[in-house]
Amino acid sequence: MDFNVIGKSVIRVDGLAKVTGKAIYPQDIYMDNMLFGKTLRSSVPHAYFTLDTSKAEKIEGVVKIFTAKDVPGHNSHGVLFKDHEVLCEKKVRRIGDPIAFVVAVSEKIAAEAIEAIEVKYEEIPAVFDPVEAMKDEIKVHDGKSNIIYHYKLRKGNIEEGFAQSDVIVENVYNTSMVEHAFLQPEAGVSYVEDDGTIVVCAATQYPHFDQLEIAEAMGVPAEKVKVINPAVGGAFGGREDITLQIHLAMAAVYTGRPVKAVYSREESFYAHSKRHPEIIKIKTGANKEGKLLALEAEIIADTGAYASWAINVTRKSGIHVTGPYVIPNVKVDAYAVYTNNPFCGAMRGFGATQVPIATEQQMDILAEKLNISPVEIRLKNAFTKGSQTANGQTLTDSVPLVDCITKAAKAIGMF
Amino acid sequence: MKKRGKGIACIFYGTGYGNGFPDVSRAYAELQPDGKVAIYTGATEVGQGAKTALSQIPAEVLGLSVDDIIFINEDTSITPDAGTAAATRQTYNTGNAIKMAAEELRNELIKIAVKELELNSDIGLKMKDGKIFLEIYPDKCITFSQIAAMQEEPLRKFAVFTAQTVQIDPETGQGAPYWPYTFSACAVEVEVDTETGKVEVIRGAHAQDVGRAVNPTLIEGQMDGGFAMAMGYVIYEDLGLENGKIWNNKLSSYIIPTSMDMPEIQNIIVEDPENTAPYGAKGIGEPVMISVGPAILNAIYDAVGVRMTEIPVTPAKLLKAIREKEQKEA
Repeated sequence: MDFNVIGKSVIRVDGLAKVTGKAIYPQDIYMDNMLFGKTLRSSVPHAYFTLDTSKAEKIEGVVKIFTAKDVPGHNSHGVLFKDHEVLCEKKVRRIGDPIAFVVAVSEKIAAEAIEAIEVKYEEIPAVFDPVEAMKDEIKVHDGKSNIIYHYKLRKGNIEEGFAQSDVIVENVYNTSMVEHAFLQPEAGVSYVEDDGTIVVCAATQYPHFDQLEIAEAMGVPAEKVKVINPAVGGAFGGREDITLQIHLAMAAVYTGRPVKAVYSREESFYAHSKRHPEIIKIKTGANKEGKLLALEAEIIADTGAYASWAINVTRKSGIHVTGPYVIPNVKVDAYAVYTNNPFCGAMRGFGATQVPIATEQQMDILAEKLNISPVEIRLKNAFTKGSQTANGQTLTDSVPLVDCITKAAKAIGMF
Repeated sequence: MKKRGKGIACIFYGTGYGNGFPDVSRAYAELQPDGKVAIYTGATEVGQGAKTALSQIPAEVLGLSVDDIIFINEDTSITPDAGTAAATRQTYNTGNAIKMAAEELRNELIKIAVKELELNSDIGLKMKDGKIFLEIYPDKCITFSQIAAMQEEPLRKFAVFTAQTVQIDPETGQGAPYWPYTFSACAVEVEVDTETGKVEVIRGAHAQDVGRAVNPTLIEGQMDGGFAMAMGYVIYEDLGLENGKIWNNKLSSYIIPTSMDMPEIQNIIVEDPENTAPYGAKGIGEPVMISVGPAILNAIYDAVGVRMTEIPVTPAKLLKAIREKEQKEA
């Protein structure tokens, strides 16, 4: 098939504006009569709290200090469960939970007011270890188990699979919580148009979903909210959840003036999600020819204080923990668990990035025991067209895995 | 002492929301008065190249250059919902929706051309550079802008694409949770300093299944970025998390790789068109980072004989593991 445009390395259409500094990122937006907002965040991981804003309110230039009671609609948001509060009402579940939003005539005054707010914490026991959290002795969300999802896979007969295996390798792997570190920390501006439409300009991955979240929290129909998505300085999953959008909308509606907020890098680390750290207990069996016969895995994903995409991420881990291999007998249990850690959500690979840290080392350990090469064991088990995954799905089309393995291996002199 | 080792890893990656959840993208293709075509869709450009790749698709359908596509995706009040710019789904999902909308517009333009050029059928009609003409007799020709001028309302076509997945059984996990899957393999060579525990990635070869490459340079950009991000994940990045507190919440202490840390990488684009994808193109945004990490870990083992089951493999952790192995052997 001959193409005119497909397959051509066309220069990126947004490239010139970005390299010449002309692209407008949310932080670049200034409007007449604009106010500045700053967020007060919890400094403790698990506590009931009370606020005294009276001193802060007296500072000249402070326009309004928003707390939970000022949220006009639902004081909640979240991509799956609405378990985040726009502003926490009486309890914080992690360090970095937003508890007040100060709006002032300048960024400096807003920062001063944040310092002047008195927060009294009544700390309660916290849980940071997901295995401990699974016992539900300390609950992160009242009346709700910390275990929010259990993925189960049962294929073939796992006992028989291991009984037939000539070599079995069993290990526990631990992956870490990490940060997206996109170039541009969160920033945004909100204002209200003449017809009452609330406009929020903030970098996001999914403007139409933000529109719904803002509308619900503001208690207005979705068509009264417009999200403008200016140039986005990277995302990698870290701009899936709401951060400052609702705070800004609330402030713009209340004050009738444009309101802007810009997070520092330090605040950004706390404001958005992280990659789920996972404990991956895995047992892999193969026969002496190097054919995989059985795989058993237990995965515990720590989602921190909020669910975000935990269910989907954990499911994705459970599905991908087999690696791209045909295995007749598979048993997987994957759990997503609340703790009082920073909350975890989407990040490039979304659960499929964590599990190969385990699966792919298991393959090399098996190969060494069987005295075959790492390339050979992969080629012996790799998915090809027509293969069936552990979920029972047939791969009907476009499965060039063997090609990928041989090309990469040859290029580095391993094949 | 500096010791070198090689390692390989391979992965599969399921695209889209998955698990039977409706994964929907919508797009409009609209003829402009000057003969250009505007695409309206809610797909975000996060830096991955969506605006460019998703402009190439309608340009191909309509015989235009990318300069003649106006891509509008910044405003919810004028764009239809195209789902999130995540899950490696925009090229596949929204690419399909845009291709369908552009094809509808093309069919409409051809229909108008047949009528206006007083032809008996659309056989032999070509569409190129904003013109529709009969190849055997090029005087029979009408331009997009001429057609646009005849319209009372702009010619505008809408399309929806919904990906196909099947929800898994909650007890057995049986179903078809993602479609399509993308594959990749990465092989690397590392050098480990056994005195300091520092790992340096010397070179890498990274083969990525793309279905069909829409824009090879943009794919290579994603592959370079994915490689760097994976290096950060397995050997550098440490939040210093302690009782819920992130001690390393700044880039002076949260170390991510810079261009100075990047080795020579051979990016290998593997094409095997996917039937259900726009021109066969699968998404690659996420899979490009996945096989790199475990390849580095396997190369560390090949170099120094220690199996690192916990990431990040910081110099301190690796040095400790190397010393423990030496003591055990002594």
